[in-house]
Amino acid sequence: MTDQDASTTAGGRPALPGAEIAPVRAVPDAVRLLRFGAVTRNAHRIHYDAEFARSEGLAGPVVMAQLHGCLLHRAATAFAGGDPRAVRALGWQNRAPARPGDRLTVTGTVRMVDEATGEVTLDLEEALDDGTVCCRGHAVVVLPPPMPSGTGDGAADR
Amino acid sequence: MEAALDVAERRARALVGRVGHRSLGVVRAAEAAGFARAAGETSPCLVDPDDAGFVVHPMYVVSLLRGVPGAGDEEFRPDGMYRDEVPGTDGLDVALMAGGQDVRWIADVRPGDRIDVRRTLTEVARKGRGAGFLLLTVEKTYGTAERGALVEVTERLIVR
Repeated sequence: MTDQDASTTAGGRPALPGAEIAPVRAVPDAVRLLRFGAVTRNAHRIHYDAEFARSEGLAGPVVMAQLHGCLLHRAATAFAGGDPRAVRALGWQNRAPARPGDRLTVTGTVRMVDEATGEVTLDLEEALDDGTVCCRGHAVVVLPPPMPSGTGDGAADR
Repeated sequence: MEAALDVAERRARALVGRVGHRSLGVVRAAEAAGFARAAGETSPCLVDPDDAGFVVHPMYVVSLLRGVPGAGDEEFRPDGMYRDEVPGTDGLDVALMAGGQDVRWIADVRPGDRIDVRRTLTEVARKGRGAGFLLLTVEKTYGTAERGALVEVTERLIVR
């Protein structure tokens, strides 16, 4: 089964607003959609019935909105260092459908850093290889506090 | 004869503000891990209930359309969606699409939580040219009787 191109975590604290986050990629295929639909009890035919999907004006079966959300959440989690609970909010708008087998890439930038709360707001975008934007959204993550000086493993401490 | 989309709009406007409840049942670690695997996750903290750092995937309960044991045949529309999922559309030949979500986590969902969802249709808007489409906004709160609200969701649904 094809799927994710393992997300790489940015980790650590963001440099500045405007900094890019590590991209996250996935290729949700028809098997993934069937599995995801089964565990979420989503039987909507636009996700697996090509003829029905076309009757609804779509080019074919489409990826579930919640699966798009999971991919955006994965990107925000990776940015936060891997703790899924660090994501405090996630929002997105569905802009264009993705079909099974499409490669989806989530990119993002730091919009805002609140030093007082440790909250970082990210602007996120999920797009196809041809540049079509499937989802546009944002996430708020809380980063772990920085390591006290002298306890880190950075070369600067040595 | 009134068009299906007009009927949906009229019905939906009459439902604005009405509160509905739905139970998603008890969160099980194995089922949450199954969700994470189906979503393509590989982190042990999401896919292995025996991992010391295991947590319920934050997107799990907000992605569930129904809990165990699922729904009876009579609860489905011909398009496979649930009759009560999109307010005002039961029995109508209209196309349903998800428009997006805003999710706000208040506290972690944990194994053993019995999740209830409070749903309220808050806004109905007619968009687009010609017959256009309906944009419905539904506010949901996921929580338990013991722990209170855990997750809040604003969901947008498109009806054509």
